[in-house]
Amino acid sequence: MNIIETKNLSKSYADFTAVSNLSLHVPKGTVYGFVGPNGAGKSTTMKMLLGLTRPSGGTFVIDRKSYPHNRVKILREIGSFIEAPAFYGNLTGEENLDIIRQILGLPKSSVNDALELVGLTQYRKRLTKKYSLGMKQRLGLAGALIGRPPILILDEPTNGLDPVGIHEIRTLIRSLPEQFDCTVFVSSHLLSEIELMADNIGILNHGKLLFEGTLEELKENAAMLGYPTDNLEDTFLALIEDDNLKRGEKR
Amino acid sequence: MSLTLELKKIKRTGFFPAFLAGGIIAGAFPVINTAARPEMFTSMSGSAAEILMSANYETIAMLNLLLLTAGACILYHIEYAGNGIQKMQTLPVSESGLFFGKAFLLVPSFFLMLCIEGTAMFFCGIHWFGESVRASAIAGSTAVGALAADFLRCFGFAFLLTLPAALLLLLFSSLCRNMWVMLGIGIMCIFLATMLPDDNFLISLFPFAMPFQTYAGADRDLVIRCIIAAVSETLVIGLIEIILIRIRRLFA
Amino acid sequence: MNILTLTLIEARKIKRSKILLILAASILILWIPNIINADMNFQMDDIGISPENSFFIQGFMGMVWFIYPAVMVICTVLLIQNERTNNGILKMLALPVSTASLCLAKFILLVALAAVYTLASAGAYYISAALASGIADYDFILAPEYVLPMAGKLFLASFPMLTVFWMIAVLITTPIFSVGTGLASIVPSVLLINTKIWFLYPMCYPFYILVTEYGNLAKNMSSSPIEMIPWIPTAVAVSLACLIIACMSFGHAERR
Repeated sequence: MNIIETKNLSKSYADFTAVSNLSLHVPKGTVYGFVGPNGAGKSTTMKMLLGLTRPSGGTFVIDRKSYPHNRVKILREIGSFIEAPAFYGNLTGEENLDIIRQILGLPKSSVNDALELVGLTQYRKRLTKKYSLGMKQRLGLAGALIGRPPILILDEPTNGLDPVGIHEIRTLIRSLPEQFDCTVFVSSHLLSEIELMADNIGILNHGKLLFEGTLEELKENAAMLGYPTDNLEDTFLALIEDDNLKRGEKR
Repeated sequence: MSLTLELKKIKRTGFFPAFLAGGIIAGAFPVINTAARPEMFTSMSGSAAEILMSANYETIAMLNLLLLTAGACILYHIEYAGNGIQKMQTLPVSESGLFFGKAFLLVPSFFLMLCIEGTAMFFCGIHWFGESVRASAIAGSTAVGALAADFLRCFGFAFLLTLPAALLLLLFSSLCRNMWVMLGIGIMCIFLATMLPDDNFLISLFPFAMPFQTYAGADRDLVIRCIIAAVSETLVIGLIEIILIRIRRLFA
Repeated sequence: MNILTLTLIEARKIKRSKILLILAASILILWIPNIINADMNFQMDDIGISPENSFFIQGFMGMVWFIYPAVMVICTVLLIQNERTNNGILKMLALPVSTASLCLAKFILLVALAAVYTLASAGAYYISAALASGIADYDFILAPEYVLPMAGKLFLASFPMLTVFWMIAVLITTPIFSVGTGLASIVPSVLLINTKIWFLYPMCYPFYILVTEYGNLAKNMSSSPIEMIPWIPTAVAVSLACLIIACMSFGHAERR
């Protein structure tokens, strides 16, 4: 069963199209990796799913609920983390999370639980404006994980983390579906990173979906088209480059 | 260089449109006020400039100060909002250059506002006080010219006397990371100025009280003293900012 | 989500924002000159108001005409900017709360701040009156049965004004315009309280009430009773319209 499904989802601004006719299928209980170069439209897609940006065309359904009719109901099931850390600098990490906890109506213990999950427990009393970039990133993640929601939408969650942090967060995301029975929709601009966490992959370039399926399917596909397959990063680069070339011809 | 940089930075903040709109609103005030009850003003004794200034200038000064507060607030808010100031501090530009660059934006914008207000007042003078203006004209000069000269002096004086407040507001702004704190301090200073008694010369030198002084009807001696005070206060405030920047860097 | 809990959450967001400090400082600036100039209240013979009434009116006049509205504008700036500075609003919009109740909760907090300010001003009045009484050797203190209902009336009369300020803060996303408009809207009150159309301008309601009260207390000043119609219907309509517009457009800029 697909827990997130989009149908011809599009977003265009006055002078360019960020996302065009995107049809995604995210199966329940899996990690779905959403890959694409910078500016491909990953964040825009995620923002549309969260109702932060109004789609200019198409529809989407999350857990059988449609937007915008069920906005609040949809959001109740989603833990989200969107690119730039969003927080209140005048509050401590713990206080920031507590605000989210209260809005979600979660028990008090969930704050400590979330802090523990991302490894921020020892910094919980510090003002967030004094946080380092990595700590802000972890706080953002904690804000998504708090209450262990059934759906997680994470936009480049490992940005700004050190190698140890990246590894920790990656392992955490990988383990989430089994641990809490949830679905993770995670984006990255590194296929090599997504490879380590995702069951399914969607590749986006210039707002268009180039590929959707499992890793094995991607490899088979690539081999058929004559792309390099021994290194996934090369496959990815070849795929994107080819697409860019085709676009160039069209113009 | 820093001025062109500052000009770029305030793009899309609505800085100039705000001053333009402020000038138009403040300029509309004397026109509406006089249009609503012209007989009351034309029957008063004194020159047209004196009557119009005493009837309207206090409100105009208030609007000017409020807009200067908002303007000064924005000039540094854009630095703090995206932490741009940090980037600036790591670049080879002096921080006091930043301050004076902003001052050179704020002051001309304010000047523009005064020009609009002065023109509006001049219009009131011509339109409603036409006869008395002609009657009081001294031989050899045109009546309209004399009226214009009156208002030029009034608003030139107002410009000089508001400089310290404008610079002080910018100084507050440079010190406060949160815009509401700066606004709070600015508002309280303006309010304090309206509460102070106006018969004591020393108290009237408070930077926020000076903009409420009017040239029309004041004696020459007082005018000169006020101008000297305004210019020296402006210099002192500039100096304080330079020192504060040094001190802040010591403790950063 | 209960609107009350939501309001409490909003209250926690403005921790360490120094807003209470600003409120307190503005009250001090209001009352200290009044204590120092207390003896001026003895020279009111031509108006025919008693020194203690004059002391009360002069203090509250300064409050309602300028500093109270101005401080409330600053509070709206705080409530809005606090969300925008570090994108806190984005997190809020991605949480399961309706934007309208979020907006309403913030407005309730604004009203609460206004209530705190009015109460603190009444408190400051009593402290100042006591101090002034000591200095001038004259009893300036009025009975709480008079002062507190008066303060309450002023607070209630300021409600429509608060809705207007809140709407301005929500609708105008360019900070310089929202601050400038809010502050500039205070100034015309001085003119409008003397006109017949005062009831169309919510920013002058508290000021109008106090000026009317001044007229009642002073023997040599003409006073006319406040006409409830069309004032009350206008006030209710304005408040409702402003609140509805604010709630409908809250978060729009961030959601494009």
